[in-house]
Amino acid sequence: MRRILIVEDSPTMRALLTSALEELGTPVKITEAESGFEALRLLPRESFDLIVTDINMPDINGLELVSFVKSNAAYRSIPLVIVSTERSERDRDKGLGLGADAYLVKPFEPETLRQVAEDLLAASREG
Amino acid sequence: MARRRSRSGRTSKTEQEFVSEAEEIIERMRGGLADLEDQRAANDEVDPEVVNRLFRSAHSLKALAGLFGLDPIRHLAHQLEEILDALRLGRVSLESPAISLIAEAVRVFATLLEAVGDAEAIEVAAAPVAGLSEQIEAAVRAARSGPEVVEALDVDPEVLRTLTEYEEHRLQESLRHGRHIVLVDATFEIDSFEAGLTALSAAVRSQGELISTLPAPDDGSDSRIRFSLLSASSLAADALAGRIDVPGASVRSAMRRAAPRAPAAATPVEGADGLPSLQSISETVRVDIRKLDELMNLVGELVIQRGALGDLITTLQSHHATAWIANDFTRVHKELNRKLKDLQTAVIDVRMVPLHQIFEKVSRVVRGLRRELGKDVRLEVRGADTELDKLLVEELVDPLMHVVRNALDHAIEAPAERVARGKPPQGRIGIDAFQRGNHVVIAVSDDGTGIDTQGLRARAEARGLVAADETLSERDVLELIFAPGISTRLGVTDTSGRGVGMDVVRTNLTALGGVVDVKSTPGSGTTISMTLPITLAIVQSLIVCVDEQRFAIPLGSVLETLLVEPREIQRSRDRELLDLRGEALPLRRLSAEFGLGTPPPEAKLFAVVVGIGDLHMGLLVDRLEGQQDTVIKPIQGPIAAIRGIAGATEIGDREPVLVLDVAALVEDPQRRREAPCP
Repeated sequence: MRRILIVEDSPTMRALLTSALEELGTPVKITEAESGFEALRLLPRESFDLIVTDINMPDINGLELVSFVKSNAAYRSIPLVIVSTERSERDRDKGLGLGADAYLVKPFEPETLRQVAEDLLAASREG
Repeated sequence: MARRRSRSGRTSKTEQEFVSEAEEIIERMRGGLADLEDQRAANDEVDPEVVNRLFRSAHSLKALAGLFGLDPIRHLAHQLEEILDALRLGRVSLESPAISLIAEAVRVFATLLEAVGDAEAIEVAAAPVAGLSEQIEAAVRAARSGPEVVEALDVDPEVLRTLTEYEEHRLQESLRHGRHIVLVDATFEIDSFEAGLTALSAAVRSQGELISTLPAPDDGSDSRIRFSLLSASSLAADALAGRIDVPGASVRSAMRRAAPRAPAAATPVEGADGLPSLQSISETVRVDIRKLDELMNLVGELVIQRGALGDLITTLQSHHATAWIANDFTRVHKELNRKLKDLQTAVIDVRMVPLHQIFEKVSRVVRGLRRELGKDVRLEVRGADTELDKLLVEELVDPLMHVVRNALDHAIEAPAERVARGKPPQGRIGIDAFQRGNHVVIAVSDDGTGIDTQGLRARAEARGLVAADETLSERDVLELIFAPGISTRLGVTDTSGRGVGMDVVRTNLTALGGVVDVKSTPGSGTTISMTLPITLAIVQSLIVCVDEQRFAIPLGSVLETLLVEPREIQRSRDRELLDLRGEALPLRRLSAEFGLGTPPPEAKLFAVVVGIGDLHMGLLVDRLEGQQDTVIKPIQGPIAAIRGIAGATEIGDREPVLVLDVAALVEDPQRRREAPCP
């Protein structure tokens, strides 16, 4: 059972992300966070194998979440995917520079997300 | 690592310091360059972090060379910085001559470094600098017409790091309107931060615009979280502080510091894209590890004194007339205790370095060897951020290199052979590091041939290490690879017959208080796990008593303690065992181990269950005396030769206590018989 945390403020996007990831080859347990704050609260309570986060969120943005996760010894090794609506090279570079493992531009094919998620989960499996 | 000719005779001490630091920088550059080359070969996106790291290395080298007046190095480092800057702003692509120019510069640095201390040699080595600099300059100039750089913001680059474009835009707008950009900091419990943060956010919004909320882990505690609220306001930080009436909140300016710290830093390193600034490079101090040892010893002395104080308080408490003083003392003692713990943690923390330094070295060795051996291998490194005592990291290099080399050399098959066995042509070697309690585990795994246990046993029999009729478990047989003198060819197909000395690996690790384990599945791979204590400095120990002699057992390896009735102890041949929740736990009597008197046979005993890595064992003792901080000191003389003793420590009453070497004790007694200690 692989545990995935989805951080996304839009309910529609959240549902889309969840349904895409529910069809992964491996069994998954998906936890949804409606905001960056909720993600911060969930992180110390549950352990996750993958985080998928939006960038533009009202409280803390996705880049800040990436920075938080990747600068924290306890969570650093969790692979992290950024999904974002606007195509912004600078946001993308920042996200990857802060340690995000992948960056997807919305809209994307669910299959693309599954592929990325599967790759990252496989890479972390043996860890 | 490049070895230089002996230069002790012709270089001064400071020059040596320069050379050793510069060497480290160049090592890092080689690593970054190799990563860039890999990315280019794979047609990957250039990882901005790799370029940024290279950029920072070039910058450090420039500053360092400037400090030591080594102009050719400084000059070249400056040019390197320029081209890396162009690279990270996307003005130059990797396909351009950039990468070969960078590679050439790194090579020239190495030759220059070799020549330090010899003026003539420097001149020879510096000959290519001018030409190379010109080439780099030309490449950078040619690429000037790249994408436009976003308008520089006069805000602390550290803050800009995590801002989205939209937030940057808000920031720009606010600055244009002459507002002050401030950071409001506060720390909350992670479980309940939202109420406090909402109140703080509301307070900030009432005075201006809340642009972004930046979370950060609290340095001191896992259960707390720090937030910085980036805001724009018509009030400056000082005035705003008076208006924000939330307990624990502080306000500071987020504007970029006005003056550069050092006039020597001619080139600004803070790009508009919010890279970590020059400050983060220069806020590091290099300290001789011996000074840290000294500091650690002092802390150790304090710990012992604190123990003595505790004993005094106990005495005070036991007398009616002084009991009231004891209460006051207890309070002070508690506070002292807390601060001392903080000090200990801080000192230990300074000694910690991430493992990626040595992992980078290993990666390079693998890159070099795979070409040489004609093997296709992917190296997967995880947990490079795991930290370990600097001293231990140094000692770990050789054993780790040894194990990885073995995997590459003997375990991974040639591509054609792998395909024939139904495996992907590319082999895989994984290095995984992670912390487990007070230990760090470094596991090297491969998907190669696995260990040929039959062949191993046959060789052991041929050398008389095992009798032909002796029954050994699979695990016992695998353990034979650590037996001294056995030619341990790990792969069944290996024909080179090179002995690889896993016994040396085990000896090295045991000397560090660690253990090494092996797991292997024929045909599908081997995992060698090395477990090391995080630090050798101060450890919490369990004090036990055997025949009125006290011993300290480091708590990091104690799993639990049990009260044992003599009738519960089972015997199997010459071993004693205890049924622990359905598992047979091997027992060892410390009295027998150290030739001490035994208690009457009907007396109850205590079993201290210890474990390192996957090895568990119960140590039988007469009595438990409680936990103590212990400072392990090496011992000399005849006692030092006794296996199972790691050193000595003093506890409160200043009586020396021997510290058990759990790693040595939990090792299989059978192997101990065959490989007696000298």
